[in-house]
Amino acid sequence: MSPLVEVQLIAWRELRKSVRSVKGLVLAAMTLAGGAGASMLFAWIDRLKREALPDGVDVQALQQQMFTQLYGAETGQALAGCPHSLWMMLMATLWLGPLLVALLGFDSIPSDLQHRTVRYWALRARRSSYVVGKFFGAWLVVLGVTLGMNVVVWAVTVVVARLPAGDVLSWGVRFFAVSIPISAAWCGIATLVGSTIKTPFFALLAICATFCGLWLVWVVSHLADIPALSYVYPNSYGPFFLSPRPTETARGLVGTCAIAVLTAGAAALLFERKDL
Amino acid sequence: MSVQPDLPAQLPRATVDDSAAVRLTRVTKTFGSNRAVDDVTLAIAMGTVFGLIGPNGAGKTTTFSMLAGYLRPSAGRIEVFGLAPSRVDALRGRLGVLPQDALLPDRDTVGEFLVCMARLQDLPPRQAAAFAREALDLVGGSAWWRQRCSSLSHGMAKRVALAQAFLGEPDLVLLDEPTAGLDPRAMWEIRQIVKAKRGARTIVVSSHNLHELEEICDAAAILDRGRVVASGSMTELTAAHEEIRVKVPAGTLRGSKPGQVPVQALRELPSVKSAELDEQRLEIVICFDRAETDAEAVIARLLRVLLDHEVRISGVAKGRGLEQRVMSLT
Repeated sequence: MSPLVEVQLIAWRELRKSVRSVKGLVLAAMTLAGGAGASMLFAWIDRLKREALPDGVDVQALQQQMFTQLYGAETGQALAGCPHSLWMMLMATLWLGPLLVALLGFDSIPSDLQHRTVRYWALRARRSSYVVGKFFGAWLVVLGVTLGMNVVVWAVTVVVARLPAGDVLSWGVRFFAVSIPISAAWCGIATLVGSTIKTPFFALLAICATFCGLWLVWVVSHLADIPALSYVYPNSYGPFFLSPRPTETARGLVGTCAIAVLTAGAAALLFERKDL
Repeated sequence: MSVQPDLPAQLPRATVDDSAAVRLTRVTKTFGSNRAVDDVTLAIAMGTVFGLIGPNGAGKTTTFSMLAGYLRPSAGRIEVFGLAPSRVDALRGRLGVLPQDALLPDRDTVGEFLVCMARLQDLPPRQAAAFAREALDLVGGSAWWRQRCSSLSHGMAKRVALAQAFLGEPDLVLLDEPTAGLDPRAMWEIRQIVKAKRGARTIVVSSHNLHELEEICDAAAILDRGRVVASGSMTELTAAHEEIRVKVPAGTLRGSKPGQVPVQALRELPSVKSAELDEQRLEIVICFDRAETDAEAVIARLLRVLLDHEVRISGVAKGRGLEQRVMSLT
């Protein structure tokens, strides 16, 4: 049997398991409700802001100015026309994404290790396939929840902010796409940390600590002006994906995929040598 | 069966058997400073039911876990059908395992779990479901198909795990404590399942239940403190082909009066090498030359003498029983 089929079977089962679990359902409901609430607020503020502006003020120019300060002239220009509330939601998704990854995926491997359920799988699937399957399973769950939240956000933005549905959808899909590779990187890191710990609670603590540690590295890289260091923090690839330049998008993809592949690969390698 | 460079001298050594399903060569497993398995060499012939016997901490489960590929040996070599147990792809569908303490995935239904296992054994979806139902039928659990694994009792979960081990009729099945915690009826049923598979596939059973092992196993290895202290066929281990034990009631003495055991007369029987009355165990122990006669012939002569002397007899057994053998070795 090909390792790909093993990975597919394990990932699919992981997805099904998460959809059924109380934890998965509660987190999905909270994410959707939180996303709806936040987007309603952002969209409402967006609308009020636009309505409160005096006639003749160019909203796009103001946005371009803001985005230019954040991302540079090219990206600023490219983002000038985006619904501000969607961009706010993207930021919220990126910042809260690691938390979602940690909460959804912390017990995926550790609970199998703790209860030795992994022994049923280790007999029939390559250990590397098991780990990679778990990685893809966690990533798919996170993407599913994020997509669900984005759909709610798009609908709310259209209704509350009274923006054209076409614009909201095209920007919404683009912003959602930004979160796909970044969440893969977070899932890879969570898989690596989780695969080394047998107790789900300690795995959750370790994953959160690792994520916080990476954020601190990112902060230090900015304070100490060492840009190269910031790239260990997956969210720092966000601006690459917002850039209109394909080469920048490719750089972002390479960076996030490298983190995902290296961490999931390292997890698989360590798991191969582990006593179960 | 069995290759034993470090076998006790009294046990006959078998030659290296190329048809061995499992072969351990000088296998050692250490956990820190603790040597759980120490230089174990074993070969298990195809088609036999083989027991791993020993007290707690003897290294049974560690040996078992290495055979299943869960643990890697610190030294030595393990081969399952000539392959390292870690070669999952090559051994797929040929090896079934009932792990001792592994919980079933609680959110799956029994059917989903077994079908998932069957799919990973490379069976197409429809066939996987058929095989899964067949395996569940085998353990008498067909009614549990839609039940969540988390809602199963200990005994039911054990049977589902057993169904998982026999799924797809693997050539080698490893069973770690298959009847632990089960009620007598379930234990009996599981023994019947194992017996029914005898000859058709190789089964390795690790258990504390010596009576059970004596009943179902063709051969066994006795482990103590990580080492093999004896290994051989069940007949060899229990000395069933060279020893007879006659149980007598309490108060029976040696002597020539009626009701007393005529030890000297027993020693003079043809082919008998020794005869003793063990007053502590209340047993007459007869050793005979198996090259000259068989146990049944000796039993006939022995009983005639004892009945002539009006000795009251509580029971007759060939060999010393596995339990006694294990007690003397561990």
